[in-house]
Amino acid sequence: MAYGGFFVLLFLGLALFYPLFRILALGVGEGFARALANPYYWERYLWSLEYGLLSALFTLSLALPLAFLFRRRFPLRGVFLALSTLPFVLPTPVVALGFLALLGPRGLLGVDLYGTKAILFLAAIFYNLGLALRILLPVALNLEGPLQAARVLGASSPRAFLRVGLPLLLPALGSAGLLVFIYAFSAFGVPLLLGGPRYATLEVEVYTLLAYRLAFPEASALMLLEILTLGLAVALYLRLRPYPLSPGGLLPPPPWAYTLGLGVLFLLLFAPLWGLFLRLDLGALAAAWASEDFTPLSVALGNSLRFTLLALALALPLGVAYAAAARRSPLMDLLGLFPLMLSPVAVGLGYLLAYPNLRGSLLLLLVAYALLAYPLLARALLPALRSLSPSLLEAARVLGATPLRAFLRVEIPLVFPALQSGLALALAAILGEFGATLVLWRPEWTTLTLAIYERLGRPGEAPFREALAIAALLALLSGLAFYLLDRGRGRLG
Amino acid sequence: MLRIFALLVLLAFGFAQEITVLTHSSFSLDKGLIARFERETGLKLRFLKGGDAGETLNRAILTKGAPIADVIYGFDNTFLSRALEADILLPYRSPEIQNLKATLLLDPTFRALPVDYGWVSLNYDRAYFKDRPLPKTPQDLTRPEFARLLVVQNPATSSPGLAFLMATVARFGEDGYLDFWAKLRDGGVRVAKGWSEAYYTHFTLYKGDRPLVVSYTTSPAAEVYYSEGKYQEPPTGNLFPELAFFQVEFVGILKGTKNLEGARKVVDWLLSKPVQENLPTEMWMYPARRDARLPEVFRFAPEPLGSVRMDPRAMAQNRERWIEEWTKVVLQGQSPESVRQGRR
Repeated sequence: MAYGGFFVLLFLGLALFYPLFRILALGVGEGFARALANPYYWERYLWSLEYGLLSALFTLSLALPLAFLFRRRFPLRGVFLALSTLPFVLPTPVVALGFLALLGPRGLLGVDLYGTKAILFLAAIFYNLGLALRILLPVALNLEGPLQAARVLGASSPRAFLRVGLPLLLPALGSAGLLVFIYAFSAFGVPLLLGGPRYATLEVEVYTLLAYRLAFPEASALMLLEILTLGLAVALYLRLRPYPLSPGGLLPPPPWAYTLGLGVLFLLLFAPLWGLFLRLDLGALAAAWASEDFTPLSVALGNSLRFTLLALALALPLGVAYAAAARRSPLMDLLGLFPLMLSPVAVGLGYLLAYPNLRGSLLLLLVAYALLAYPLLARALLPALRSLSPSLLEAARVLGATPLRAFLRVEIPLVFPALQSGLALALAAILGEFGATLVLWRPEWTTLTLAIYERLGRPGEAPFREALAIAALLALLSGLAFYLLDRGRGRLG
Repeated sequence: MLRIFALLVLLAFGFAQEITVLTHSSFSLDKGLIARFERETGLKLRFLKGGDAGETLNRAILTKGAPIADVIYGFDNTFLSRALEADILLPYRSPEIQNLKATLLLDPTFRALPVDYGWVSLNYDRAYFKDRPLPKTPQDLTRPEFARLLVVQNPATSSPGLAFLMATVARFGEDGYLDFWAKLRDGGVRVAKGWSEAYYTHFTLYKGDRPLVVSYTTSPAAEVYYSEGKYQEPPTGNLFPELAFFQVEFVGILKGTKNLEGARKVVDWLLSKPVQENLPTEMWMYPARRDARLPEVFRFAPEPLGSVRMDPRAMAQNRERWIEEWTKVVLQGQSPESVRQGRR
């Protein structure tokens, strides 16, 4: 069992800490001074903070009432819950294109919100609403007991909610809020494609510095700033522990108007996806398939599928080994959260600095994918592993199994559903990876997300249509892959 | 049996030999010429369009040691020093060098060989300015009523953008050019990422809203050529020959190429007479070869008198600083004084 932990530590050392160190080394020093002296970069930092905080605020203010609605049992509740997870697993270029299809210069709705704050916040809500809902729901469900008790003791409904409900909800609100902050603060794909030059986040700025000016010191300094902020957020997130509440059941069904209203809400929420599919042009899809001006869709699809399978093959043992090591060791648990702090562009930058000789090797890209994906796998697996009764393991050992055999033959099968959910998340993350792929790009490594980006970079109607078509295909692929594995369980913890 | 199989495999690879040419998004050559080259040499040409000139060069530099192509074409004299300093090119004394105009041989180490040249210049839409006053001097551009009609390109990524920036440095001086750009910024100048975006999306000739664009002296001629008889005279014109910037585009063989022979053949081919005579009507630049004939339509693109020809050493020494200062003033909104103070 110790080997598993050792293997994970070795991997983390090479794939995470050494590149991080190289960023640190370059960023501290002249890069830092130059970057900090420039008021423009402070503006970028403050805007990223604003984007993170306000996204969290907006998302929570929608997610909380939704969570309360979902306490009731109503028809299609399971379907709605499953659907709420979908936006989160969609690749960022797909979401960006969906919004462009609706609210861009050639949008269906006729309103051009490209380059405005509004479209960026809308995208943040679209992405994170499901995530926040999933975190708030269990707590909302379990509130009924304490709330009833408060009402029995004489408090009015609003007072019960304010004095009892809200304080109990606070840790969950904090967790959800922090997670949304982390994702929005370090956002790359959406601000890159929708924000225009005025609303570039730190990630976008780092990429611009790298790709256009080759300014490694400044890019590293900004990346350092981002990592420190994310580190703080993750540290806060870890300290929040939910209140232990006795589990509550679903409440009796509400009037059917609820379901209708909810249906309309979800329809609106998913509008960018409808926009994407409404603009789907099969002719453009065919043109993209055999394109001569850009990377043909056939090549990009092959690459995406190939890389995803290979990277998953790497991420699976990694995630399992990490979960096994982390369930008993809080230190390993902490270490494993580091990748959350490292954004995809940071990983790309770190690898460019740390492993310049491996620039041509596909392994570099696959390792980056595995690094970004395995925490998702592990965090789905960990709670399930932790909740296993130790007596099962003892029984296996008594009957003569080695620890490894007991783990593989008894524990893993028992947590298989959680493993599947984690795998689904990891798969979606790799399939839709954009930032690291862009930084480490080589023409033979063009994936579906990059094929979309290529076409967006050229002016004209035809490339835009092709980009839309590819995005629709990618949305279908991600959604399908995710649902096949996850089957609506949607653990996003 | 195994030996025959191995030989067949080797032959198969020999036949399928591919040469990748990394180039910018405006690259274009007659397909017949390409096909003829492929037939005669047995090589398959693959053109990899890397975006704007600056971005393309950066990609090549970022992948140094594990190059993504065999040949790179399209970096110009403004980015030349960046390409040479990054040490990504192999020297090659092509036999065609003796046929090229001597003044274009800016690299004595023969790592960057000139393919074509031209002038970056301001174009204006004649239809828009038929009854409206044109700016009379370059300084006039700083007036708000003209600044808001102008679209330029980001010099960090676009070679005409950088060329225009350097022209303003040459004309307004090290201190004056920042004031010029600050006024343009305040007046509402638009910055596009690259030439295609500026010309085909923002220029009024293509249903944009800006009748003044940084382009090439040959663009008006190109409009006549592609109009299929619709235009007898160019619908656009050139402004301010004193702000025109002399630009040379180069080709180089990337270090680490797996097919040096093939790469050399591609370079020779680009410098050969048929390609050099095809260049003008495909990419609207002048051929570097002395004996290449110009097409008739180039009578609409006379050489601008008094254009800016900057010393390569000055460009090498100051380019990064000029781009940075421009970015600070135009994109980041800083004042020229604070940028000048930052120089000390």
